[in-house]
Amino acid sequence: MVTLRARGLRKEYGRGTGLVRAVDHVDLDVEAGETVAVVGPSGCGKSTLLHLLGGLERPTGGELWLDDRRIDRMSETELARLRRHAIGFVFQAFELVDELTARENVELPALLAGVSPRVARRHAAALLERVGLAERAAHLPAALSGGQRQRVAVARALIGRPRIVLADEPTGNLDSAATTEVLRLFAALRAEGQTLLLVTHDARVAATADRVITMRDGALVGRTNLTGAGGGLGAFAGLEG
Amino acid sequence: MGALVLVARLALRDLRRRRAEALILLIALAATTTTLALGRTVGGAADRPWERTRAATAGPDAVATSERAADLAALAHAPGVTASAGPYAMVSVDDLRVRDVRVAAVVQGRDGAGGPVDRPRLTSGTWARRGGVVVERAFATALKVRPGDALTIAGRRLTVAGVAVTAGRVPYPSSTPGLVWATRADLRRLGRPVTSHVMPLRLADPAAAPAFATAHRGVRTWQDMGAYATAELHLVDRALMVGTWALALLAVACVTVLVGGRLADQTRRVGLLKAVGATPRIVAAVLLAEYVVLAVAASAVGLVAGRAAAPLLARPSAGLIGGHRPGLTAGTAVLVLAVAVLVTGVATVVPAVRGTRMSTVRALAGPARAPRRSAGLIRLSARLPVPLLIGLRLAARRPRRSALALASLAVTAAMVVAAIALHGDIARKDAGATGPMFVPGAENPVTRQVNDVVLIMTLALLLLAAVNAVLIAWAGSVDARRPGALVRALGATPGQVTAGLSAAQLFPAALAGALGIPLGLVVYAGARAAAGVPGGNAIPYAWLPAVIPGTIVAVALLTALPARLSGRRPIAEALRAE
Amino acid sequence: MQDVVLALLAKEPSHGYELRARLQEALGPMGDALNAGQVYVTLTRLEKAGLVTAEHVGQAHRPDRKVYALTAEGRERVGAWLTDLTWGRPSEFHLKLVAAAAARLADPVDLVEAQRGELLRRLADVQRAALNEPDGSAAALLIEGVTLRLEADLRWLDACARYWERKG
Repeated sequence: MVTLRARGLRKEYGRGTGLVRAVDHVDLDVEAGETVAVVGPSGCGKSTLLHLLGGLERPTGGELWLDDRRIDRMSETELARLRRHAIGFVFQAFELVDELTARENVELPALLAGVSPRVARRHAAALLERVGLAERAAHLPAALSGGQRQRVAVARALIGRPRIVLADEPTGNLDSAATTEVLRLFAALRAEGQTLLLVTHDARVAATADRVITMRDGALVGRTNLTGAGGGLGAFAGLEG
Repeated sequence: MGALVLVARLALRDLRRRRAEALILLIALAATTTTLALGRTVGGAADRPWERTRAATAGPDAVATSERAADLAALAHAPGVTASAGPYAMVSVDDLRVRDVRVAAVVQGRDGAGGPVDRPRLTSGTWARRGGVVVERAFATALKVRPGDALTIAGRRLTVAGVAVTAGRVPYPSSTPGLVWATRADLRRLGRPVTSHVMPLRLADPAAAPAFATAHRGVRTWQDMGAYATAELHLVDRALMVGTWALALLAVACVTVLVGGRLADQTRRVGLLKAVGATPRIVAAVLLAEYVVLAVAASAVGLVAGRAAAPLLARPSAGLIGGHRPGLTAGTAVLVLAVAVLVTGVATVVPAVRGTRMSTVRALAGPARAPRRSAGLIRLSARLPVPLLIGLRLAARRPRRSALALASLAVTAAMVVAAIALHGDIARKDAGATGPMFVPGAENPVTRQVNDVVLIMTLALLLLAAVNAVLIAWAGSVDARRPGALVRALGATPGQVTAGLSAAQLFPAALAGALGIPLGLVVYAGARAAAGVPGGNAIPYAWLPAVIPGTIVAVALLTALPARLSGRRPIAEALRAE
Repeated sequence: MQDVVLALLAKEPSHGYELRARLQEALGPMGDALNAGQVYVTLTRLEKAGLVTAEHVGQAHRPDRKVYALTAEGRERVGAWLTDLTWGRPSEFHLKLVAAAAARLADPVDLVEAQRGELLRRLADVQRAALNEPDGSAAALLIEGVTLRLEADLRWLDACARYWERKG
């Protein structure tokens, strides 16, 4: 079943000779339970694509469907309601609210959606447990490491039980060890059947996906299926040569 | 020298680039300087009409009143008295009639305007001859009579022969009933008993008049009469003083918000200047120079406007001799300039120093604010509806600005409360000013003048407070652009964000309204005490709590637009913009 | 080396000197290490294996020289080599792209994409292992090394794709 479907999706800035096609007629299907990575050099339009898919930005043309609902024509308010339950966001710079604790940050979308504080608190605590930060729930973001902050952000993205989680360079601000930390979390989410769309220029992140889509100059130019992988590791250690 | 040129160039370029901002600042500062110039001019001129009238009419240093003429005769030879006139017989009547108006009056029997002391000066007509009377000018103005008009006193038809001013009695309506002079023969012909006798006195030492007055019964000093005669001018002066303070505070708030907002915008520019080698002192100098230019301009505007408005706002009683328009002294000019520079200086120094002290690298990296957190606030806000929650957190993020909004609104609310209180007192005074002693239908020039001044001051305050509220909301929405976009990405609707931004302004507004009520009452009591004016019995206390919802509604309306604009910006744009 | 020479012959029959010149052009300063004998030794081996045929061509003023051409078997082997995704040294893949482009045997960009897919699959396997490995183990260190190399190779493949996209 297709969760997210884009057809001829376009985003243009400027006009006339200054026209820039940030996203150029993109067709994309993300199946339920699938992890898709969009890779490409910086400036290729992949962040804009993510913003379009999440309704943070309006496309110039094309159609966008989430499950069976067409979302490119929704009003801002409708989109906001949709985001509460259907779309979770993870950003490169974490975007945690500095003056709120980890748990309060995770609660935030639930409270926005009108969930009672008690229930929100319980969900947030469970999710922090889920991302392995139960004992850090009362810490402010400043007291957390980069990897921990991003895990809090992932927990926050999950609290609305979204149909899809959109992550924009989720490891862009992280060192190698913290990247491993976050990728473990994504791998676990994938194993649970959470639909994920990652935008990244980090090959390690892309390698955790089921499918990798290459983007260049606003267009999708290559698709690689990684689900068939699993050929053993010996070759890389040079043991076969 | 080169540094000076650089500072001037940067400052002027920047002002030109931000004309709207410069204009707002100029208005805020000019409101303050105008009021200050006005206050100084009116206050300096308050005593002059009485002095001038005294000089022109050989005004007495003291006036003795007694029921028996003999007592007064003895007083004429008391030590310290160098000259006296009269005593003149006074007859009180309750039936001076002109057209269909009936009012009480006091008639003084006097055959000429001469004498060693108290020579009323005719401003039109001639002195009373048989069948003619002279009417004190303020009373004549209220009665709307001119020489040649007919009136009756105690049923006798008389003609108005002239209109005169005197320093021997406080002009109507500051003293009642109004004064009319008639010949002694005509006074007797009225057929009413003599009520009292008055005797104007010249003293060897006019400054010692109060001591003389305490030593003798029924003596009133020129100083005391002067205070009553110019009470309205003093009250206007006091209102302007209080208003100046309030406006200056609002101007400080306005400048602070603008400077603070600009510095946040300009932190990078400051960093750049420092990166290319500008010392912190030069950076601070550029910022200060911009505002000093504005302060000087505002002083000029204030002095000109204040001088032009002074005669309109502060007219001495018709019973006194007005002079030329009140002058502008060098002292006033210096004071106005100093206050304008001080206001901008106070508002600029702290943010400017803070901005320039920041390390160059940190400034280049963009604005970074350490998160603040109040556990109590957070716990409280967790139970609030979402927009309020967002608003409270935005307000908590910039406590200084919230405090500024609070101060600005509290001062305004206090002034509105003071104005309401004053209006209550004045309304009661006006209500009390109907009766046989007062000319029906004639407005009270004293209260009208005070009302005018207070109305204008209140309008100026409200305008400046509105500017402040919009500025603060705008600065807040600029600040909240990124967090606002973030919460929208997390599922908040534009409506919730807009409501949150407004709510951030409404917390200070509610608190300001609540603080403004007691503050305004204190200010009013203080101003009354300082001006020596009684009152405070007719404050409409029941109406004062309305100031709180009034403030909230006003602020909500004013801040809705910037908040709404900010709440609707595309999310991705705001998220990218850093 | 054998595969490279075969692929270069796929464009047109050629003699040893020319082959060496084309190799050196493609390799630049890296080709300095390539000695003349190596090419001829390879050609002789290929001839023995029946993958190429040699023909003597007379020259007016110089001694005769051998012109080599692919046999059907050789052509087959070139095709297999192009689609083979075994990952060796960068220079080998580079020459594969050069030869494929010169002989119009395949679009280099497609080859790059195919190879990138393969490397991504390998990286996925390594990642899976890495994520299962407890932090701080000796194996984790090895896995990190393999990961870093794969990442470097993938970045280079991006550069290859950009280059051949411009060329094409």
